[in-house]
Amino acid sequence: MSVLLAAASGDLPKLGKAIAFGVGVGLGAVGAGIGIGNIFGSMIQAVARQPELRGELTGIQWLGFALTEAVVFYALLGGLLAYVLV
Amino acid sequence: MTALLNAIVLAANTDNFHPQDEFDLPAWISIHVGPLDLSVNKAVVYLWIGGLATILFCVWIMRFGLSLTPSRRQTTGEALYDAVQSQIVETSLPSRAISTWFPYVASLFFFIWILNLIGFIPLPISNDTFHIAGLKVPTWGIYAATANLSVTLALALITFLATHEEGIRHNGVRGYFRSWIPAGVPKSLLPLIVPLEVISQFMRLISLSVRLFANMLAGHMLILVMIGLIFIFSSYAIAVIAIPAAIAVYIFEVAIVVTIQAFVFALLSAIYIGGAVEPEH
Repeated sequence: MSVLLAAASGDLPKLGKAIAFGVGVGLGAVGAGIGIGNIFGSMIQAVARQPELRGELTGIQWLGFALTEAVVFYALLGGLLAYVLV
Repeated sequence: MTALLNAIVLAANTDNFHPQDEFDLPAWISIHVGPLDLSVNKAVVYLWIGGLATILFCVWIMRFGLSLTPSRRQTTGEALYDAVQSQIVETSLPSRAISTWFPYVASLFFFIWILNLIGFIPLPISNDTFHIAGLKVPTWGIYAATANLSVTLALALITFLATHEEGIRHNGVRGYFRSWIPAGVPKSLLPLIVPLEVISQFMRLISLSVRLFANMLAGHMLILVMIGLIFIFSSYAIAVIAIPAAIAVYIFEVAIVVTIQAFVFALLSAIYIGGAVEPEH
């Protein structure tokens, strides 16, 4: 919403910051999305080939999921810092 | 198109919607000891409730009325214990460190798990008040103590200190710090490798705390923003989309994120401590 407000009032620096924040976090989400897809895809393949390993693999799967997912939040946090501080 | 844009801008202009206010922490009881600010605020109250709930839950589930023909409560307790033991501790801690660090890792898991869960129960603990029948009542809101960097950083610091203390105790100062450097690195590369390894030790501290903090913050923000869309557009028609979306995010958070984050925090703590006790070379 602040993007539209800034555009309406001609506040260009604020507009630019808002767009940069959105694009930055979006790109971070792209990377993490691909990574999480890879993890769950590999998990499905692994369990389909060797169902008896499911128990051991679940822990590794969730660890990988959380480590990958955190990447978005680094992007989000960095973006927020840049948005607030600059 | 322009008319629509103008309408949106007007709608946004007239309403004051600040979801981030949910994370403001004004002091309720001001306590200052020298340079330290020990004031009681919303996060502190949530921490008290979380600590109390963790103790009561664990005592209730495992500490009395145990028998050879287990009740449902005892079965649940044993399943939880077994999950922590087989999934977190045995896969990451070397056998000689298990008896020392199992209690810490398990408490960490249950404490963070219950703190996260409490964060999704609406409680009348809030900075705002509203009047009902002449009484001033705090508004009901969702807030998690773990959506506060100070809380998660404190937890990560305990792990960080424990890691190095255990590393030095088991391997000696020389042996432990030497184990940071990968084996077989040529001497000429050392000035490059050593700073990197030192930085990576501190990055663990940041990643451990920021992961939990940002996950919980983003989860709460998403729910607040989804519901806030109704107020931003000041139209009830939006509620048809916004409320189901908010409920979907809520279910995702409670069903998956809450447990996964507690699990990962405990597992990474165990991996770091285990790695310091028994370096690979």
